[in-house]
Order: sequence, then C-alpha cells, then structure tokens
Amino acid sequence: MRNKIIFSLLILFILFLAGSGLTMLYLYNTTSNLQSVIDLHRVEIIRQDLVISAQTVQSHLYSFGTAFGKELDVIVENVIDLDNSARRCLQCHHNEEITQRLEEVVSLVEQYQDALSYLITTSANKERIERLRMVAIGIGTTVLSKAQEMAIIAGQKLNEKTYMSLQEINNSRVILLITLVLSFFIAIAIAVTMTRQITEPIYELVDATRRIQGGDLGYTTHYRGKDEFGELIDSFNEMSLSLDESNRKIMRNLNSLSNLYSMTLGFHSLTDVSEIYRELSYGAADLVGAEQCGLLLLDGDHFVHVHPAVGVDRFTTEGLVIPKNKVLDMYVPQNRRALVINGNISSSPTAELDRKVNTRNLIFVWVRQKADIVGIIRVANKKSGEFTPEDVHPLAILANNVSVALENAKLYDDLRRQMQQLKDAQEQLIQAAKLVAIGELASNVAHELNNPLTSVLGYAELMKEEKDIEGMLGDLDVIEKECLRAKDIIRQLLEFSRKRELKIVNTSLADILRESIDLIRIQTRNNRIKIEEDIEPSTSIMADPNQLKQVFLNLFNNAFHAMGDSGTLSISVRTIDGSVHTKIADTGKGISEEHLPRIFEPFFSTKQDKGTGIGLSVSYKIIQSHNGRIEVESKENVGTTFTVILPSNVTEPMPS
Amino acid sequence: MKKLLTLLLALSMLLAGSTRALAEEEFLIGLIPEENIFKQMKKHKPFADYMTKQLGMPVRFTILSRYPHIITRFVERGMDAAIFGTFTAVLAQESLGVKPLTRSVSLDGSTTTNGYVFTRKDTGIKDINGMRGKKVAFVDQVTATGYLYLISLMNERGVGNVDDFFKERYYTGSHDSTIYTVLSGKADVGVAKSRIMDELSRKDPLLSEELDILYKSDNLPDNTLCVRKDLPEELAERLKRILLNMHKDPEGQKVLEVMEVKQFVIAGTSEFEPVRSMARKAGINLKDFNYDY
Repeated sequence: MRNKIIFSLLILFILFLAGSGLTMLYLYNTTSNLQSVIDLHRVEIIRQDLVISAQTVQSHLYSFGTAFGKELDVIVENVIDLDNSARRCLQCHHNEEITQRLEEVVSLVEQYQDALSYLITTSANKERIERLRMVAIGIGTTVLSKAQEMAIIAGQKLNEKTYMSLQEINNSRVILLITLVLSFFIAIAIAVTMTRQITEPIYELVDATRRIQGGDLGYTTHYRGKDEFGELIDSFNEMSLSLDESNRKIMRNLNSLSNLYSMTLGFHSLTDVSEIYRELSYGAADLVGAEQCGLLLLDGDHFVHVHPAVGVDRFTTEGLVIPKNKVLDMYVPQNRRALVINGNISSSPTAELDRKVNTRNLIFVWVRQKADIVGIIRVANKKSGEFTPEDVHPLAILANNVSVALENAKLYDDLRRQMQQLKDAQEQLIQAAKLVAIGELASNVAHELNNPLTSVLGYAELMKEEKDIEGMLGDLDVIEKECLRAKDIIRQLLEFSRKRELKIVNTSLADILRESIDLIRIQTRNNRIKIEEDIEPSTSIMADPNQLKQVFLNLFNNAFHAMGDSGTLSISVRTIDGSVHTKIADTGKGISEEHLPRIFEPFFSTKQDKGTGIGLSVSYKIIQSHNGRIEVESKENVGTTFTVILPSNVTEPMPS
Repeated sequence: MKKLLTLLLALSMLLAGSTRALAEEEFLIGLIPEENIFKQMKKHKPFADYMTKQLGMPVRFTILSRYPHIITRFVERGMDAAIFGTFTAVLAQESLGVKPLTRSVSLDGSTTTNGYVFTRKDTGIKDINGMRGKKVAFVDQVTATGYLYLISLMNERGVGNVDDFFKERYYTGSHDSTIYTVLSGKADVGVAKSRIMDELSRKDPLLSEELDILYKSDNLPDNTLCVRKDLPEELAERLKRILLNMHKDPEGQKVLEVMEVKQFVIAGTSEFEPVRSMARKAGINLKDFNYDY
C-alpha cells in the first residue's frame, strides 16, 4: 500500500513537476523577453538621454564662442551624462551587433570628450580654437547619427521581443491549464482507488475484531493482499490464533490450578498421614495424567516408599530404600529443580522399582521442609507422551503443599498428645484438690466417726450387762443404727474421693448443696459458726454432681478458714434470667484488694503454709467447664461472697 | 587695458563678496584643468559627494576652463574655493586674496611637485641649446610647472625670448595634453608637471621609454585648496578639519584613493616663495600679471 501511495503521489508530483517545469520554462522565456523589452525601452530612454545630452552640447558648441561662462558647466554635465548613457547601454547588451555599435558610440563619446576637453582648456589663437570647435562638433554629429541608427535597430528588436513574449505567455497558459485538469482527474482516480483499497481490509479487520470481542477467538479473516494491509491481516490472524491458543492454555492451566487448589485445600484439613499419601498420589496422578504416583519419605538416612500410592503396591515397594546421599547427589546438581526422565530410565534412583513396574518416564519432585529435603514425589508413566516442564510446575506446588500438610499432620499429632497430657494433668490436679479438701475434712470425719463408734462401744459394753434379750436387742438396734451412720459417712467420703470421669447429668442443685453442707456441718460443733440456708428446693441443673460438690466444699472450707471460730455462713440459691446463682457468703476477714484479682491463679494462697493454692483455680475451671462462671466480692474484715453462676440447663459442657 | 581689467576684477570681486557673504545653497569648488576635464570631474565626483555629506550642504565642482580665464571665472562663477595649481594659487593670492587651506599629499608621500622639461628620445635634443628652432608645447602661461619653469630656465641660461628661440609654440591647456602633444610629434619639447607625467608613466610604462626628461625644477607646492577671502571663518575651519581628518575615515580613504591622493595637510602662503622667485626670474610681475593671445 505504501508503495502504491508513493507511486501515486510520484505520478502526481511528476505531472505537476512537468507542468510546472514547462510553465516555468515558458514563464522564464516570457520574463526574459519582457526583460529584453524593458531593457530595450531603457536603452531607448538612455539613447534619448544620450541624444538630448549630445544635442545640448552641440547646440552650445554652435551657439557660443570660444570663451566659456556658465554654459561650461552645462556642457561638462551633459558630456558626462552622454558618457554615462553610452556606457550604461554597453553594460546592458550582449548582442554582438548592438555591442559593436555601442562600443563605437562609447569610443566616439571618448573622442568627443577629448575634443571638447581640448577645446575647453586649450589657449590658442581664434583660428585654432575654431578648428578645435569644428572637430568637436563633427564628432558630436557622428555620435548623434550613430544614436539614431541604434534607435531603428532597437525598435525592430522591441517588436520582435514583444511578439515572442505574448506567444510564450499563451503557451504558459495552455500548459498550466492542461496540468491542472490532468492533475485533478488523476488525483480523483487515485483517491477513489486508494480509498477502496484501504477501506476494504479495514472493514475486514473491524469485523474480525468484533467477532473476537464476541468470544470467537481464533477467528481469521479471508482478506488476502500483498500490501501492508495484507501483512497486517496476516499478523492479525496470527494474533487471533495465538490468542485462541493462549486462551486454551490459560483454561488448561486454570483447570489444572483448580484441581491443584481443590487438592491442596484438602491437604490442610488432613491430619492423618495415610490420608495425605492417598490424596497426594491420586491427585498428582490425575493432575498430570500419569499411571503411577507415590511418595518416598525420609526415614533416618533413607527414603522409603510409603502407601497408599497409585500404580504401585506395597509388595512391589517392599525393601526399596534410596540412600539420602544418592538423592542429594541428584538434588544438588539439579539445582533443586525437579528431575524429569523421559526414556533413559536406567539413570533413575528407583531403577529397581522402575523395572518392576515398567516405567517409561518419570518425574521426581522434591519435598522440602525448610532447607532439607524430606521426601520425593515420584510420578511415572505419563498417559499421553512424555513429561513436560508444564507438568513440573503444578507438581512443585503440590510438593510444597504436601510438605506443609505433613508438617501440619505432625504438629496436629504433637498437639493432640500434648492436649491429652494436659487433660491428664488437669484431672490429677482436680484429684489432688479433692484430696486436699478431704484432708481438711479428715479431723471432722474422724470426730463424726468417733461418735457412732463411741455409741457402739458404749452399747456393746451395755449389752454385756443386759439381762434380757430384749434389752440386748435394743442395744443391738442402736449399735446397728450407729454403724449404719458410720458407714454412710465413709460411703460419702469414698464417693467424693473417687476419681471419676466428667459425667453430666440432670441433677438437683439443692441436693448437692445439702450433701456438701452435711460434710462440713460437723465443723460447726466445735465453734460458733452458724450456717444459714436459703435454697430453692426445685432447682435442677445439668452438671457433674461430684465436681460441683468439690467446688462447694472448697468454697465452704475457705469460708470456714476465713471466719475462724465464729461467724455466719449464708448459702442461697436463686434463679435469675435463666441462670442459677448460688451465693456463698461468710463474715470472715475478707480478701485484700491487692489479692483479690489473683485468687483464681493456680498455687496462689493467702493461707500461708496451710493452703496449696489449687482449690479456687480448680473450682474456677470446673465451673468454666459447665459453661458457668464464679464471681467474688470481698471487703476486708467484713466478709467475702462467692457467687457460682450456672446455666439452668447445661446441655453441652466444654471439654476439659 | 590691464588697469581696466584689474579694476573690473576688483569690482566683480567686491560684488561677489557682497552677494556671497555666507555660503548659499551650494559650496562651489573650482578645478584647474590639469588633465582631461571630464576625467577630472569624474575623479572628483566621489569627493564632492563625501564633502556634501560631511559639510551638510551641497558641494559641487566646476572646471575653471582655460588658464587665462581662471581668475576671471573664479569671480564670475562666485566660487567659494578652488584647487589651484602652483602658479595660479600664487596669482589668486595676489589678485583675489584667496587663503591657502590645505594641500594634497600624493601617493608617494610628497606634498610638492616639480616641473619637467622633456622631449621625445627620437628628437636628439639633449639640453636647452638643442631646443632652438624646435616646436615647444606649454600647458599655459599661468602654470609654474607647465610654462614658468622653462621660461625662467631660458632666462637663467640667456637663450633669448620664447618667440625667437622656438620655431613654434603651443598652449595645450593641460599637462597631459602637453605630454601627448610631444608624444604625437606635434611638438618636440614640452614642459609639464612631474606628478601628471609620473601618473601617466605608471599607467603607460611605454611613455617613459619614449620620453627623455631634460630638466627638473626645484620642489614646488602642489595643488592647493584655497578659499575665498570672505568665506566665513567657521565654515573655512570646518572644511579644513574635514579635509585634514579625511584619511582617518574609511569612507574618506576610499574617496582619496579615487583621487590618487594620500591625505590633505595644512597649506600656508610662505610655501609659495619658490614660485614667486621663479616668476621673478621669468620677469613676471605677479601684481600686474595678465596676458592674452
């Protein structure tokens, strides 16, 4: 197209150039002729000046004598003008004839000047002066005669040049007109042709662009040309095909990435390594379209094939180990990139296995954790052809995810183990706290057992002295009753001290509180502590009665300890807004503001060497596990109130 | 006759002085016809233009025509100044009281000129005695170098008066005409200004081969610009300054080149003493000098 445009413009340019050249030539000739005409007119003017000057001088020479006055200046000026005119004429003309004639005139003028100068300056007698005057007049007459001859020649030339100029002007007009008309039609023809040739491919391109925009990737136009538009269309078609190919590739990659994403997403939730092995094997094989896939993990100084795997069973891989050094020998030279073997399987580090399972080609992708290689993903026998670098990339991503998944699984395992240990420790702590509570009850229990035992001993002594059977039976009844009472005390103690699993049941809070109060009531016999109860009898909650009893006993013990020998322990139960509030208030010495925020911390105690500091912290955790909370208010030397708030119906206790 | 002429001259000078007390619309300078007057006018045209520009008033040159009429024409044409020859300057000083202002320095650095008495080599004339009975060409009777020198030389040698000594005599009117008259054979002996002959010889080297210079006068003051005696002092002074500084001005230098003059220097009356002495030897009374044909 460019060539066409250049060619067209060149034609126009040449046409204009030719027309302009011819016109210029004619104009040049015309102006030259006109210049000649003007020059001839000038010559005529000069000639007339020359004639006038000569005639003036001549008239002076005729009219005046030999003495000169003012007229001398007139003569001198006119002769100088005459000389100037003649010389100016000589400068203008190049025609040989004219030049020759002018040279004659100039020469005559010089002679005229000499004669006049001689006449004007010579001092001689009148005859001689007269002779000199006649000589000057003679030369002057010749000058005038020559000037007249030149006028005739100049007139002829003037006519000739004028005619030629008019002819040239006509020619210029015709050429200019032809050039303009021709240029106009050629320009129209070029414009129409060029417009058609330019717009056709442009419309094609616009149509193709719209189709591609509409999703028809790979669409190609049918315009075929050998110009720039042809090249542009070819490039456009190539671009369209390339776009289509790129789009397909992107879709493939998106699909692959989607699969990869789905697969890797699953990895993050897997905590069982077997599951990870399975997911990896099946996923990777599916991802690259391979027949075999498995994972080799570092175990000591060797890599061992783990299962489940795809295309390889446990029997085949049994005994197959790859020394770590051998792997590193490949890993390092590969510059940590995956090892791809297409064809030459003998160089494979799993050559033994490869022979057994007929491996054609394979990829080793390294699984790294931090700076160390911890595993190898072995993918073999691509279903369609050979492995390509495009297969390596998703596998490398997969390897990174496998690494993370394996690390996660290990961490999860460690966490689970630690949680179990924590749970065990907590149970032991609860048990210890329970035993502490029991220890604190021990003297009271002993005293409580002492009473029935004393009764039993007394009645046994009394029975020995009974005479009749009825009296003996009466004593035995008392002994039996007291023994049953002792048994019941021991049963309760055993019941409390037994190590139990958390067991949530629907239970009566009033019963739990009363049993707890019964266990501590014995302590009130030896002091002046008064227990006031205000318990709603029908309050039921979902709880582990044994653990709640431990909490209440702990709180009662603390209250007793705070009150010393006298005081009032108030126990009340109220249901407020779906929660059961159990208030245990004492009139003891209270807790200082300084200690109050720390009382639920493990091993924090204000009882000096009498406390372990685990009671309240364990109680707090027990209540937390029942989705409840403990609140405390205290004022020094006034008393402390603990409020145990539990949901009225505990359905899902938190795991301890 | 002479007294009447002197009276007329004095009267006309008086009239001229009264009518031209100050410069009128133009400053008119007269030229003595040293050579072809048209060539002289051409040569002085740039000078006139330059002076017009510098002086701020039109300056024009005019030819003083034949030597006998120089003094008359100076008065009649009401000239403000004139470039006089050696002898005419003395005459004008004596009769008109003109004041010498500046003198030109020739290209060779000389401010003076000499008179040459010369002949064609083919005449065989070797000295003044050989000139007896020959044809002589003078420039004019009022030229020191073109007439006076030879007359004073003849008086000094005692060879008799001009009319008896020479067979025929011409007054050519200009120095170059005198040289060409001798060269053309119309005359055998000529007397002319050395500067003109040197200039012609420079342009036409053959000339010196054909001519033989027999006598050369003492140095005489060359062409001198004299102003009329009643020219306003201020104008005369301005004119002098322009002329004296002309060679320092690039434009002025170009004009001087055309005129074949190096520069202008101050001129004084005392420098003309050799001319006066020459006139005395020639038996000419400068006060009453007049002549006619």
